[in-house]
Amino acid sequence: MSSSSVLEEIRRAEEFLVVGKGVWRIDALDKVTGRARFTSDFVLKDALHVRLVKSPIPHGRIIEIDAERALGLGPVRVFTAADIPGENQVGYALPDQPLLPADKVRYVGEPVALVAAPDEDLAEKAAELVEVRYEELPAVFDPLEAMERSDVLVHEDRGTNIAEMTRVRKGNVERGFEESDVVVENTYRTGHQEHAPLETEGAVAIPDTQGGVTVIASIQYPHLCQRITARVLGLPHSMVRVIQPYVGGGFGGKDDMGPVVSAMAALVAFKTGKPAVLVYSRRDSFTSTCKRDPSVVRYKTGATRDGRLKAIEVQIILDSGAYANRGPYVLWRATMHAGGPYEVPNAKVDGFLVYTNKVFEGSFRGFGNPQVQFAAESQLDELAERLGMDPLEIRLKNLLRPGSRTITDQLLESSVGIYEAVKLLGEKTGFRAKWREYRRERAGRVRRGIGIACGYHGISTSRGVPDWSNATVILGRDGSVTVETGICEIGQGSWTAHAQIAAEVLGVPVERVKVVGGTSDAPDTGATHASRGSSIGGIGVYVAAKRLRERLAEAAARLLECDPSDVEIREGRAFRRDSPDDYVEWEELVQAAYSMGYEMSATGYFFLPKGKFDMERGLGYAYPAFSYIANVAEVEVDLETGKVRVVRVWPALAAGRILNPVLVEGQIEGAIAQGMGYALTEELKFEDGRMLNPNFTDYLIPTSLDVPEVEAPIYVEDLYEYGPFGAKGVGEMALIPTPAAIMNAVKNATGVRITEIPATPEKVYFHLKEAGVVAGE
Amino acid sequence: MLPEFEYHRPASLEEAVRLLSELGPDAKVIAGGTDLVVKMRAGLVSPRHVVDLSRLTEIRFIRDGGDRLKIGAGTTLWEIENSEDVARGVPVLREAVEEMASWHVKTTATIGGNLCNASPAADTAPPLMVHDATLVVVGPEGRREVPIGEFFTGPGQTVLGVGEILVEVVVPKMRQGQGAAFEKLTVREGALSIASAAALVEISGGRFVDARVALGAVAPTPIRALKVERALKGRPATREVLRSASREAKADIKPITDVRGSREYREEMSVVLVRRALERAVERAGGVWA
Amino acid sequence: MRAGGGGIVVRFTLNGREVEVTTRPNATLLDLLRNELKILSVRRGCETGECGMCTVLVDGLPVRSCLMLAPQVDGRSVTTVEGVGDPERLHPVQEAFVEAGAVQCGFCTPAMVLTAKALLDRDPNPDERTVREAILGVLCRCTGYAKIVRAVRLAAERVAGGVRE
Repeated sequence: MSSSSVLEEIRRAEEFLVVGKGVWRIDALDKVTGRARFTSDFVLKDALHVRLVKSPIPHGRIIEIDAERALGLGPVRVFTAADIPGENQVGYALPDQPLLPADKVRYVGEPVALVAAPDEDLAEKAAELVEVRYEELPAVFDPLEAMERSDVLVHEDRGTNIAEMTRVRKGNVERGFEESDVVVENTYRTGHQEHAPLETEGAVAIPDTQGGVTVIASIQYPHLCQRITARVLGLPHSMVRVIQPYVGGGFGGKDDMGPVVSAMAALVAFKTGKPAVLVYSRRDSFTSTCKRDPSVVRYKTGATRDGRLKAIEVQIILDSGAYANRGPYVLWRATMHAGGPYEVPNAKVDGFLVYTNKVFEGSFRGFGNPQVQFAAESQLDELAERLGMDPLEIRLKNLLRPGSRTITDQLLESSVGIYEAVKLLGEKTGFRAKWREYRRERAGRVRRGIGIACGYHGISTSRGVPDWSNATVILGRDGSVTVETGICEIGQGSWTAHAQIAAEVLGVPVERVKVVGGTSDAPDTGATHASRGSSIGGIGVYVAAKRLRERLAEAAARLLECDPSDVEIREGRAFRRDSPDDYVEWEELVQAAYSMGYEMSATGYFFLPKGKFDMERGLGYAYPAFSYIANVAEVEVDLETGKVRVVRVWPALAAGRILNPVLVEGQIEGAIAQGMGYALTEELKFEDGRMLNPNFTDYLIPTSLDVPEVEAPIYVEDLYEYGPFGAKGVGEMALIPTPAAIMNAVKNATGVRITEIPATPEKVYFHLKEAGVVAGE
Repeated sequence: MLPEFEYHRPASLEEAVRLLSELGPDAKVIAGGTDLVVKMRAGLVSPRHVVDLSRLTEIRFIRDGGDRLKIGAGTTLWEIENSEDVARGVPVLREAVEEMASWHVKTTATIGGNLCNASPAADTAPPLMVHDATLVVVGPEGRREVPIGEFFTGPGQTVLGVGEILVEVVVPKMRQGQGAAFEKLTVREGALSIASAAALVEISGGRFVDARVALGAVAPTPIRALKVERALKGRPATREVLRSASREAKADIKPITDVRGSREYREEMSVVLVRRALERAVERAGGVWA
Repeated sequence: MRAGGGGIVVRFTLNGREVEVTTRPNATLLDLLRNELKILSVRRGCETGECGMCTVLVDGLPVRSCLMLAPQVDGRSVTTVEGVGDPERLHPVQEAFVEAGAVQCGFCTPAMVLTAKALLDRDPNPDERTVREAILGVLCRCTGYAKIVRAVRLAAERVAGGVRE
């Protein structure tokens, strides 16, 4: 398929029947009736239940694992590193992470052994009786300290606690600051964030008759789980089948944890010949799964008197915890997005990923971007303040537009809708008037404020790393349509979007389309991450459906005695464009096509064209496309308690074609809630590496009474030439600017800049007190 | 996984007392289970016997006793929240219960359970303390009454002896001229209190004839703020008096630093919550600021 | 009554049908429903009574089944989402959840549907605040609750307006 023809077609199309409509989710009925099955529902007869034996110390050598007492309880099996038949390695970016450590533990909660027993209680009791002797090692918890130390190393063989360094060097920063009339410099800190999917991580593994294993698991990328599991078991990939059932929320965490739990359950199944069920307890889910990387971002921004950005100098330090996992990619993304969606002629960015003896970090909606956007967007408001401008004005002056270059010097030729989005958002919210009013008023013990923040997010993989889409579409003889994709349904609605794409292209009602996804039996479609599920994932569906559509048009032409180019297929009927009453029903058409010898299945593959990236200077083609977002948040701050209430949020999104507005709204509303939790209440507390609040009692995700009113989004449909119908990614977008929008509103309300999130009431209160806004009691 | 225990469901209060006396300290009482089951799962308690009081209708009631309201210990928080008698007679209790936990918890959690669990942060305690409630306890030795101020002896600890069951809370009703209010601070809706405060005042002739203040989550037990009270009683009901009296709260409390908040923050918030509770209590008492 | 480690017979009504089952005294209602009776719509989310995934209705009111001992349900009436409606006969709340886009990952959906039903059964026309208070005890990490609240109010309008078909 030539890409230009696709774009042409999209641009020509004036209306769609299915795409762009709030089509009901194809999985809704299963879910509202409770019939949807999740991983832990697949408990098979004779299954072994698996429990983790976890490290109680942050750093230490494993001297001995004594399972005698545990084994004495009854039919119990215990598995350690020594039992792994293949390669004991689950590291993603770097080969630094064992499935089960053989030599030493690096964080409190690290699984050191697996215990399996025929019933849950026995497995749990046995796990408590496995005795592990450690030689404790000095530990390091603060990334700033860890960077400097070489006497305490989380990974000795690396010789340093710095796992990765990144950089961007664009233009001449020194000159940029010299040319600046105003320079603002601050340090920003962000905390851990736990994904807290309501369904915890888990996997069920079933040995098959050929020596392989089938895994049913809560995942985001079946083929990655397949590869890692095969590696751990020492099997060819083809011997491992991975299938997702329904997944109770992912948010990135299950992209990273899916392979780990799959390999653990598979190990037990493989070694015992029995089905194995591993479901993390909520506590396990807190202590032993990846989190969003905490960060320290030092940020210096310079601008001229008229508000034009001249230079940024940024240092990003990400606390990776015990393992690198996705950290190098997270850091690169943070580095390349450090400028925000603005034209910055001179940029110097340095990134450091640092090991510490805490739970490891990993993928989480936004992937490094929320941390830097919090800093970048706070900086912009501080700059505006110094320049006597308002936050809207300074943004409109600097926002990226078609023809702009990013801080990696990537030219953005088209599909850059952020300027229009922010302009519309400013008008809709009456931002300027409110911002001035709240700033002027500042009286009483509850203060109101309004803030804006923008964000952009590269869709697909970064730095020219290959990305592709792949799917199969099969037409049954009864006219039913099956889409096979590796993309997972984790709540976002990608399968519904895929059904819409197939229905639109083929010309059938969406109810005829069934999506079989999230399985290694389908083509490898890449991971369901990076906001690529519906967008990049949908391209393969589009291409495959298009192929079938062409064949059907030929078949219809023969039945209707016309040229294929005169055939129209819509709403389940094929007809000649000039005589719609003379039609062939869909089922009849498909059967006829089968009889005429047309192949009624097709694969769709698309390799995304990408450019070059210079890793030394951090310059070049960073992403195939960017989605853009801006949020305005209105808050109330109780000065006497420091409590911030987010009253209302207005989002504006430029993510190309909106394939399904109901799904997109759902993503935006959910992301804003999650971003609000990140900004205000969600705080993991540690003492000597031990998590103090691994539970929902004290790790506080937003409830129905906390979330703000989210206004109907503004959409700027800045079509992307390779996206299905011009769609770009949506899933991560609205979280990214939410913390900054809230903190900018807090500043508007109180005059105080909060540079650290989560801004819990206590933190805000003491900041206000320090700033003299409240006297204290 | 819960520890293994024997389950007992006595058919009467009498049987319950006898059972608990026989079983001794190895037995724990369950009503709504919202505290006990959580503690058992966390391995904090492993009773060998669990005695279920959730079916004892004898201790599940809200009765009007003239100038007092009698609330059975087995009454659920949901029943209290929906009781007209409570709304009229002890509105500050209703206010506290409204802000507690979720509907799902309140349908099973009982007022007796909340008190006997003796969390320093138990939100029903401060309102009952400012009402000078009396707790009725039944045990092998018979029936006795304990002023609520003497009920708690430490975190998770009460004066209840072996075989004793809290059966009833007797609460003097609000009188004409009185006003009461409850305040609490949480990081998030439905979360446990960082600190809480209840206040009850009576104003006559522009002066505080009576003033009672109690706080939660800022000491080993819920406590009365006697220094605050002393700074109010007999003084004119002015904002200044109220403001300076509230500051006395710091001297009444002994907060700790924990995962929910630091000692310093709790100290300052105690003052804020006491002041806010007092302000609203004064307004509700029909008090005109002198 | 008393029962030790062996087992205890519990009789109760489950979705309108009488059930008699032997259970361990230290099993929770959640254990009983999921493990013994295979009611898989009742989900294990935290087991500390915080998340609400295990919500069931006992005598019409929402409770945390992870905090209730199995023997405590003896003689009472339990409703799970299976007893609310099925694909052929959806309850108005379920219809509204589908139509309003209130479903994402679906893990909290049965708990939300049950809570909404219990609310509408006692308050047919709740305002937004009342709906938000009612579902406070069920966490949702996907939706930000907006469409769930809308769905409950949509269901209320339908029931009150008699437009249910």
